[in-house]
Amino acid sequence: MPTFRSRVLPLLLLLLPACAFARQDTNDPIDATVVHTFTPGKTTARDVTAALGAPTEVVQLGKRTAYRYDATTQKSTVLFLLLVNFANQDGRSDRLWVFFDEHDVLTHHGASYSTHRTQYAMPWEDVHEAADNQSRDAKRPGVGK
Amino acid sequence: MNAAVRAAALAAALATAGCVTANYGHTSFGEPVDDAAFAALVSGEATLADCLQALGAPVRVFEYRVGPTGESGMVLLWSWRDEAGWGIDVSSGDDAIPGSVSFDAVSTDLPGCVLWFGPDLRLEKARKGTLGDLLPRRLRPSAAGEG
Repeated sequence: MPTFRSRVLPLLLLLLPACAFARQDTNDPIDATVVHTFTPGKTTARDVTAALGAPTEVVQLGKRTAYRYDATTQKSTVLFLLLVNFANQDGRSDRLWVFFDEHDVLTHHGASYSTHRTQYAMPWEDVHEAADNQSRDAKRPGVGK
Repeated sequence: MNAAVRAAALAAALATAGCVTANYGHTSFGEPVDDAAFAALVSGEATLADCLQALGAPVRVFEYRVGPTGESGMVLLWSWRDEAGWGIDVSSGDDAIPGSVSFDAVSTDLPGCVLWFGPDLRLEKARKGTLGDLLPRRLRPSAAGEG
């Protein structure tokens, strides 16, 4: 005959652990294949905004200007236990800076793409493993080699 | 009932009420700048293009040393966060007793690196450290309407 303890303990064990996952995206990832078409000395600010839309930020640099485009993905994981919670937040960004001269012609650009590397993980896991990054890069057009 | 069972029962009761919770958290945002790529940048030689190629896109760009003719240098900043640590949250669990206390044993200053370029867009200097040490303190902007 089941005792009170044998009924309640399994129920408690089921209720105690719980997990939560959350994801937050800001802006669409930057299209690396579009950025590859930008050519210093030829591409203009009008070309860039036609291809990528309005920038997130415009910075005045004397006679020069710089536009920033970015996108962010953040993945959160929480393991709730009775007395201890384990939480991990991994956030990565795509960033593009385009620099123009006083005539709004592109002089330089620099890009970093890593929104696709964001991971759900436990806090003791390494989310920056090179091999892992490479395999994720390979699946993203314009980023993998 | 022995002392260990009583202690466990008390701890369980506190936690169930949301009174005391220990947290172990890891927060990472962005990716650290590659040490070898940063070390390879030589002041007086590396150009803006070289630095963007080596380090990727910075987090922030600032105007630097604006001359009388409008020529300007620039400052590029990279920062990231990768922290792990324990914390404790203590709350009353009762609306009649407002307030909660939390403690996190993690740093609040971000690591980063900063590159300074003159108007010729050649690297003047490069520094790595925490942003609080690398950048001058921000001043509160003047109130609207002030000259």
